[in-house]
Amino acid sequence: MLFQIQISRMKTSNVIWVGNYSTVVKRDPVLHWSWKSELPLECATHFVRMRSRVDDAKIPEPRFWSNWSSWKEADAQKSLGRDPLFLFPKDKLVEEGSNVTICYISRNQQDNISCYLEGQQIHGEQLDSNVSAFKLNKVSFIRKTGTNIFCKVDQKDVIKGIVLFVSKVLEEPKDFSCETQDFKTLMCTWDPGTDTSLPKRSSQSYTLFESFSGKKILCEHKNSCNWQVDSDSQEMYNFTLMAENALGNRSVSVLFSLTHRVHPKTPYNLFLKNVSGTKATVTWKVHPIGNYSTLLCQLDLLGEGNVIQQHNVSIKENGEYLLSELEPDTEYMARVRCADANHFWKWSGSISQKFVTAEAAPSEALDVWRNVKSVSGHPTVTLFWKPLSKLHANGKILSYNVIVENLDRPSRLEVHSVPATANGTELTLDQYSYQIHVTALNSAGPSPASVIVVSGDPGNEEAEEERINGTEDGFSVSWKPQSRKAIGYVVEWCDHPQDLPCDLQWKNLSSNTTSTVISSGAFRPGVRYNFRIYEISTERMANLLEKKAGYLKELAPSDNPQVVVSNLTSHSFTLSWKDYSTDSQPGFIQGYYVYLRSKAEKECHPGFKKATLSDKSACCQHRIDNPEQKTFVMENLQPESVYEFLVTPYTSAGSGPVDTFTKVTTPDEYSHILIRIILPMIICVLLIMITCYLKSQWMKEKCYPDIPDPYKSNVLSLIKSKENPHLTIMNVSDCVPDAIEVIHKPEGSKIQFLGASKSLTETEFTKPAYLYLLPAEKNYSGPGPCICFENLTYNEAAADSGSCGHFPVTPQAPPSQPGPLTSPENLLKALEKNYMNSLGEIAAGEASVNYVSQLASQMSGDKDGLPTNPPEPVHCSEYKMQMAIPLGLASPPPAENSGLSSTTPLDQSEHYR
Amino acid sequence: MDLRAGDSWGMLACLCTVLWHLPAVPALNRTGDPGPGPSIQKTYDLTRYLEHQLRSLAGTYLNYLGPPFNEPDFNPPRLGAETLPRATVNLDVWRSLNDKLRLTQNYEAYSHLLCYLRGLNRQAATAELRRSLAHFCTSLQGLLGSIAGVMAALGYPLPQPLPGTEPTWAPGPAHSDFLQKMDDFWLLKELQTWLWRSAKDFNRLKKKMQTPAAAVTLHLEAHGF
Repeated sequence: MLFQIQISRMKTSNVIWVGNYSTVVKRDPVLHWSWKSELPLECATHFVRMRSRVDDAKIPEPRFWSNWSSWKEADAQKSLGRDPLFLFPKDKLVEEGSNVTICYISRNQQDNISCYLEGQQIHGEQLDSNVSAFKLNKVSFIRKTGTNIFCKVDQKDVIKGIVLFVSKVLEEPKDFSCETQDFKTLMCTWDPGTDTSLPKRSSQSYTLFESFSGKKILCEHKNSCNWQVDSDSQEMYNFTLMAENALGNRSVSVLFSLTHRVHPKTPYNLFLKNVSGTKATVTWKVHPIGNYSTLLCQLDLLGEGNVIQQHNVSIKENGEYLLSELEPDTEYMARVRCADANHFWKWSGSISQKFVTAEAAPSEALDVWRNVKSVSGHPTVTLFWKPLSKLHANGKILSYNVIVENLDRPSRLEVHSVPATANGTELTLDQYSYQIHVTALNSAGPSPASVIVVSGDPGNEEAEEERINGTEDGFSVSWKPQSRKAIGYVVEWCDHPQDLPCDLQWKNLSSNTTSTVISSGAFRPGVRYNFRIYEISTERMANLLEKKAGYLKELAPSDNPQVVVSNLTSHSFTLSWKDYSTDSQPGFIQGYYVYLRSKAEKECHPGFKKATLSDKSACCQHRIDNPEQKTFVMENLQPESVYEFLVTPYTSAGSGPVDTFTKVTTPDEYSHILIRIILPMIICVLLIMITCYLKSQWMKEKCYPDIPDPYKSNVLSLIKSKENPHLTIMNVSDCVPDAIEVIHKPEGSKIQFLGASKSLTETEFTKPAYLYLLPAEKNYSGPGPCICFENLTYNEAAADSGSCGHFPVTPQAPPSQPGPLTSPENLLKALEKNYMNSLGEIAAGEASVNYVSQLASQMSGDKDGLPTNPPEPVHCSEYKMQMAIPLGLASPPPAENSGLSSTTPLDQSEHYR
Repeated sequence: MDLRAGDSWGMLACLCTVLWHLPAVPALNRTGDPGPGPSIQKTYDLTRYLEHQLRSLAGTYLNYLGPPFNEPDFNPPRLGAETLPRATVNLDVWRSLNDKLRLTQNYEAYSHLLCYLRGLNRQAATAELRRSLAHFCTSLQGLLGSIAGVMAALGYPLPQPLPGTEPTWAPGPAHSDFLQKMDDFWLLKELQTWLWRSAKDFNRLKKKMQTPAAAVTLHLEAHGF
């Protein structure tokens, strides 16, 4: 029977769907048919009717439709409760990308209802007064807890919501395949793709179905499933894997033969046996696969991570292979994997094992070079050798053997053992020729010997140095062969010529080579490299052929020489920088620039030219083209002028820094003459002063004795020559003072004053009072010869005052008699008066110091006997040293020291001369 | 502010006076049972800690539910959450609660909330969320034990759950997913409100327990100064 079904929405005339349903109608039939509405059925009333006709080929045409049935109404709203608001569909599950229609039903038309999808308000289509529908196109997955949609009635506490569960699209399983390791179990694996499961709503499951056997299993995992192989009878398998979730399913199939899906297990028990320097045997085992299966195993030999050898071995259960052509003392790794030999499907997992081959004797002779020098007269040979490469060492070098054989005189061989850490040794030899054998030793034996012959006589080590230019690739060195007997050449240089040791390097070249390029990573611009080319003779002796020197790249000098100024005259000076080494500069020194500048001179001297410095100041420049000329004479200079000079070398790359000038001031023209005169004079004066100082005592006695010797006094000669040739010097014993007489000198009296008669006459009127010291009357025999000492330490005024005079004294007035002047009181009064008068003439400038001249006598100690009757004759007078006494200290002396004039109390304002 | 020498002397004198009188303060001179004070303080501290912890957990969980549940101003009606113990109460009623009733209400509320929360944990879809919920449940269990400790210290019996009335948080047959989410929302909200209320409850209890000592201290201060 064929049924035609019509569905209307909201009203019968609004047919929204028409469809046919064909089925076989049996007796007492209850047919079921379902239809899914896009709009939730709660949102609107739906009507359905149908008609039928026979749909059987046995029944001939024409076949007529029956009449339509009456409309059946499906109104879900009637069964809803009394809630003010409903939202449909409730918690629907859809696939991502589907279109979904939702609706709300409001019981109150007055309510203002707003709806939100994930917090965003949505606007729908009003189906009738109470129902609005929202169509959501291509809904997307947001979260596993679903997409929240809710509507609420404004101003009321009414809210209704639904959760729309959107599932991701179920994917077809990818890379589905099955394989066996043991013909007992088939393991099928696949990539499930995106997970579509939703909690509590939808889960994703996998089912494996084998069509030949008709078996079906539910897989426990999402990406694998194990299938038990029942017997050996089934060879072919046709698997269908079905992925399923709440919304649908996807399936994938695979058809295969079991023997073509063998994936062997990883081999085990991989061992290395009989490992020698070049060979090793590898053994391993595999898990057996069936009774007749053969496995193809791949054996890889890896060195430093790279596959060196690869071998295929067919085995049943035990594998073995002999690896050869191995390098001694080398670490290798053996790796094995296997696959089914008959039907390759997949390699098994790999097993690997590292091993190290045994050591062998070094395969190559050392590259040896030598450096001969003379130390304390003995030729000393320093041997250098390059460590053997790992390829040639064939093991760990334990030591080096150096055997020295004297070629000129038969002697015992000298054997030196050098530790493995050294790459050279030093030998002290005699003036003979020696053949030196050097071998490297490891645990397996020595290397072939490297032979070198050295002579105790270094021979001609001199050769003219030639300059070469370096390039980016290095230095191109070429030479001219000297003899045809050369068996090779060696180029020698230092990688670090400025260091000690200089890291000697050498390069061996064959006999038919006459040029080479020396390159080194150590070469730097601005460093001078010296190359020596040696010819190796058939006797294995090295002879110097040529010398080369060059720079990888010449640079401008970075420093200027230390310049010494000498021979400085008023017109010239000499500059010299002889300590400057031209060999250790960053380029070949081609010469020097001498800069000179002076504020006094605007024009440059001959030989100089004007130059402008970097600071735009002008100066004069002179160029010296000879690098070995390290002196320069600056001439034609002005005396007493300041000159500034600078000497800077230059190379092909430029000159040194022109920054710090040195100042030189030329002296004046006469300064040297003055120096020639003044300097000797100063020296003479100094010598005299030193002599005087050393002979001061003698000088004092000669020139200014404390007690002048009257016999030596020039006064005597003066008196003798001018006045009285008969005047003699009185002996001290002749003069017996026994009285003192003070006489007021009468005006106009003529006094013979010694040495200053004229001046005395003139001063008589201004200095009327004098003090005279006279000898005692008792033994006095009248006027007699008596010496008057001139105190040379006094100035002229002292002479005027007649500090010492001896004048005739009348006997009528003996000082011993009592009289107005004999008593001390009277004497002092008289003295006071006279002193006061005399003091009036003292210059004001002399008032600051009191000069006290003591006229001391032996009587002075006897205060009682002095004025009256001195019991003993005393000397005429004695001088004592003068003392300068500060004013404050000029207090009256103690009474026991009083005597004669010194007893006079002095006022601080008074001066006593 | 400059601290003058006079101030320092004054402070020192006050400090000495306080120290002199310390042995006379009864509240501080206790050497025996410390009473429920420390337990109340610990319970109070635990409520504050849980409040902080819940803030983080609720943020994660509401994001897991999606909008509008994670929107700050979302305030749905309390439809299906009627079985949840209500934390909100009239202020006068709250003030008039005696200690026993106050503690009993807290204990009962957290017993129920813990049970619901464990149900929530079972339904969580992500492992991280389950871990966070389990950690919070452990902390909440600790709070429940702490409240029980306070009640025991005060001599109050623990409320016994009626047999067969174990609260469940499983959705009923007519329970839609949206309503379930609403219930989850309300559970977290009610839990937060309860933690706020508990903090106030225990703060009130704490003050009540400290009142005698505080009075002595005040008297001492007046005397000292």
